[in-house]
Amino acid sequence: MANSTSILEWLGFRKASGVTEAGWGHTLLVGIVSFIYFLPVLFIIFTAIKPQDLALSVPPTISPTSLFGLIPDQYVFTPTLENFGSVFSRVMTPGGSPEATGFDRFFFFFIFISSVSVLLALVIGTFAAYGFSRYPLKGNDTYLFIILTTRMLPAIVIVIPVILMFRVTGLSGSYLGITLLYTAFNLAFTIWMMKSFFDELSTDVEDAARIDGSSEAKVFLKICLPQVVAGLAATFVFGLILTWNEFLFALLLSNADTRTVPVAMNQAVSSGGRGTDWTLLASIETLFLIPVFLVTFFLQNHLLRGVTFGTVKR
Amino acid sequence: MNTAVRDLPAPAMFEFDASNWKLAILAGLAISILAALALPASLSFWVIGAMAAMIAAVFAINAYRRKYYGGLLVAPAIAVLFVMNIFPLLWSLGLSFFAYQSNQQTIRFIGLNNYIKVLTNDIAAPANWDALINTGMFVVSTVAAQMIAGFLLAMLFAKQFPLRKYLLILVLTPMMLSVVASGVFFTYYYDPTFGILSYAIGEVTGEQFILMDNKLGAVTGIVFADAWMWSPFVMLLVLAGLVSVPKYLYEAAAIDRVSKWRQFWTITFPYIRGLLMLALLFRTIEAFKLYDLVYILIRGGQDTKTIAYLIAEIANEQNKTSEGAALSYVILFMVIVLTNLYLYLANRRNQGA
Amino acid sequence: MTVMMKLKGLATAAGFAATLMVGGATIASAEDVTLTMAVPDWPPTRIMKKFFDEQYKPKSGNTVKLDVDFIPWPDFYTRVNASLTSGEQKYNFIVSDSQWLGAFVEGGYFRKINDLLEADPDFLATFKTIHPNPLNAYSTYPHKSENYYGFPQFPDVLVNYVRKDIVCHDEEQKNFQAKYGKKLPCTGEELDAMTWDDFKNVGEFFRRKKGDMLAGAPAEDDFYGIAYQAGKGYDFSSMQINGFIWQMGGDTWDETKAPTGQAEGVVNSPEAIAALDKYLSLIEYMPPVAKTGTMDIFVSDQLFREGKVAMNIDWIGLGEASLDPKSSKVSDKLVFGLMPGTMGADGKIIRWSNIGGQPFVLTTWTTDSQIKEAVEFVKWWLSNDIQHQFAQAGGQSAVKAVYEDPKYVSYRPWNRAWAPSLDWQKDVWHVPQFFELLTQQQDQFDLAITGKQDAKTTLDSIAKFQQDKLKEVGLIE
Repeated sequence: MANSTSILEWLGFRKASGVTEAGWGHTLLVGIVSFIYFLPVLFIIFTAIKPQDLALSVPPTISPTSLFGLIPDQYVFTPTLENFGSVFSRVMTPGGSPEATGFDRFFFFFIFISSVSVLLALVIGTFAAYGFSRYPLKGNDTYLFIILTTRMLPAIVIVIPVILMFRVTGLSGSYLGITLLYTAFNLAFTIWMMKSFFDELSTDVEDAARIDGSSEAKVFLKICLPQVVAGLAATFVFGLILTWNEFLFALLLSNADTRTVPVAMNQAVSSGGRGTDWTLLASIETLFLIPVFLVTFFLQNHLLRGVTFGTVKR
Repeated sequence: MNTAVRDLPAPAMFEFDASNWKLAILAGLAISILAALALPASLSFWVIGAMAAMIAAVFAINAYRRKYYGGLLVAPAIAVLFVMNIFPLLWSLGLSFFAYQSNQQTIRFIGLNNYIKVLTNDIAAPANWDALINTGMFVVSTVAAQMIAGFLLAMLFAKQFPLRKYLLILVLTPMMLSVVASGVFFTYYYDPTFGILSYAIGEVTGEQFILMDNKLGAVTGIVFADAWMWSPFVMLLVLAGLVSVPKYLYEAAAIDRVSKWRQFWTITFPYIRGLLMLALLFRTIEAFKLYDLVYILIRGGQDTKTIAYLIAEIANEQNKTSEGAALSYVILFMVIVLTNLYLYLANRRNQGA
Repeated sequence: MTVMMKLKGLATAAGFAATLMVGGATIASAEDVTLTMAVPDWPPTRIMKKFFDEQYKPKSGNTVKLDVDFIPWPDFYTRVNASLTSGEQKYNFIVSDSQWLGAFVEGGYFRKINDLLEADPDFLATFKTIHPNPLNAYSTYPHKSENYYGFPQFPDVLVNYVRKDIVCHDEEQKNFQAKYGKKLPCTGEELDAMTWDDFKNVGEFFRRKKGDMLAGAPAEDDFYGIAYQAGKGYDFSSMQINGFIWQMGGDTWDETKAPTGQAEGVVNSPEAIAALDKYLSLIEYMPPVAKTGTMDIFVSDQLFREGKVAMNIDWIGLGEASLDPKSSKVSDKLVFGLMPGTMGADGKIIRWSNIGGQPFVLTTWTTDSQIKEAVEFVKWWLSNDIQHQFAQAGGQSAVKAVYEDPKYVSYRPWNRAWAPSLDWQKDVWHVPQFFELLTQQQDQFDLAITGKQDAKTTLDSIAKFQQDKLKEVGLIE
């Protein structure tokens, strides 16, 4: 994060090296493009705060405010937070009283396993990437390629062996099992990504440090790692997004108590066997967005700084 | 490698030493076999696991003492991958040589028959080939769309301007959504009765607009949704490359009055090539697995079934496990050939540059 | 450290690790019996669980726990199939679509219950009070044999969902009479008397553009007369098309006639082709989403609830949503009728239809003590009192004494169509090749629905595939 932050810098006026500067005109252009790009997401967020009976209205309601009369009334809806309430507790049987859905538990459980598995993959994968980059083994490229191969097949192909394995070991339905599995899913990407970052670093500084008598561990921790922080941030974000989206194994290896959010989300897609509940789905999706959104936002400076890795190249 | 490897003599066979991996393997194997014979499966698994861990530890100590850092660093990743991914993959590779359906108790070795069946059988093969062509079409169109959109977006953000970080995160959000939920919302956007697209067009033409009643429309719908979701991935990687170009290179080019086009190819491109290739590689691999959107938007109708769709039908719904595995490995083979070709080309250009 | 100590340490460590993994799972003592059940997550199963928790008192005095895994409908098959075929042996009870019986019985996962029925006359008596059509569909494998497997969880049939405010409107009534020389069906009885030709007239009659007059006011949006399932997913066209085929004298491949019964010549008989043509001819009067091949049971239901169609044929299982003002714009304007039929030569309407709903079954690894409690539970579930309560809460009952009770009709507006429908229910195949047959058939029907090929080509292709496939596995000689 920024060490000295003025309001202006915080608003994005930071000066970065290697980047040409542009003014508000460019902001306007990018603003329009970004807004259009963001529209489908905005619509989902608006659906989350719509009254349930307006979810499918024709003409579609597209805004919670008329923007001082800019948008005709027929496109405007009155926002409500009711839908978020029904994510956590709603009526499950006709005429019954609202029941807890357990979504809060799924949500935190899921944040927990995805962050743990992504971090684990990041640690293991960074070591491996450093190994592949600095101490090439015999057949280095073959190993790297085999690692890549693990991402090439549709997950459905390994379902049966994985379930069997989990059953034999008692890992089925446990946090540990699914965390390890997700770690493995993330490794291929982490290794390839981090290796390309390590490859870009100049080895001059490292060699100098070795001549000065630094141990290999010190070279890695004190010299190489700080230079790839940006790469770590980017990999973390990508890994989190991929894990956050995994569906099949979350479905097959979880218990009623250890559902993950994407699986629980399908409850809204079918809405108790009656087809899609749009406002509920949008609410879950909006909640689902928050953690990754926050993480990305706070790592963003690193993501963009990332970037400096080329300046010391060769 | 700069540091000299210190040549430590390997320990003798029965020397009790923490780095004696030969003894560790022997002991580990013996105990594992005893455990497997004497203890119930659930317990013996853990004993065997512990033995494997012990052997691994001994290997690690051995590697550390003799400075095999490469192996040492790579080993944990390989171990996790092996257990969680490679082992199940080999298992299914094995299954592809058997006649096996997961909901039946019989299994019979049939060699390459599954492969012959998925490629040449009258009933199964035409669908497979169609799906293969569709997959190829989707790979080319989605990856091209993502690369172009991602690249253009990255160009927009490669400057420093006010509110940049806030606008950037807007563009990154599509990637963060769950594919299932945003896919379901795209069915809404495309719906002829309720959808926004149909409504907007209807305001002009007076007719409800049906996007997906033909193959072109269905493919466009799928490609658009997919490209929208994954362009930010390409964009972020390209952006990382773009921002890393030292400014002085551009300044020098400006003094020499080099054209923008030439500037791009001689200065910018070398900096983004690596990351562009990485993005291309990973998006291509993912595009070969395209399934969710095809299923959610059109249920594989309008002739849009992909190979991943067929594999889900065959291996999951119909429980034809070994046939599904064989089909998967045919695809894997193609992806491997393609990525190898691509890595070869990428490396060659790298060395040429 | 000696070797023994080392081993002990290892064992403790392993035990500790195992405890960590399994978490809080408890080991059942003699008095505690846990029945684990895989169910789709929807009201009928939620109600079952609720009744169990609130009312069930095991006669044995044991503490019986029903551990229900509610799985979202779209993923239900994937989850259950993977659990069964991987040998996870996790569930004692499974709610299963009737057509899955063959695949899972042949796989050795579903437990035959004939011995349990024979050992317990009470149980057998309860079991025999179920209407034979649902019983055959939900419980027998091979189909209509004496081998029993399942119990009805939520039995279901197709009925006609109708907008009263539209079809009973005077203006519309008058115009319809003038145009077709027939009364526009409006009451339940009139709806029951509908044939597919009447249904088609309704579709043609109510095709309105935005702004056209509809029931005395300008239509706010395009409006359509009719809808039924015409989707490519799962069985979302076969279930409707089968009804057409059976009603019009055609047939599907009949598994009870195996191995002499044929597919070719039967599946693509002229009657079946005419029936499919009839089915396809109605699609042009339906909402435009039908042309994409994605108008499944949920989409047509959603269109109906949003007030875009006058009549929709759908499962009763989706009905609660249309009664609920929160999810339905037509909740107070509903009337229900039997699914339309085909006029027979004798002037009586033929009403064959494909049965829906799900049984639940016992799995083969269920232990004796679990089975004892399971049987008690099923007897309790099928008892008149609980079935009545279930129907009152929004379920359906296939138990004769319950649905023949005059009270039954008053529980839900569609219940008047329930008992008459039951006599006309048949089911599609239960053979282990079910999914292969279904996928190919759905693909072919989709081609016809989206206008890519005609009825004859479609049924010829289906017949050929079924003939080849079933010959290969020995179900056709």
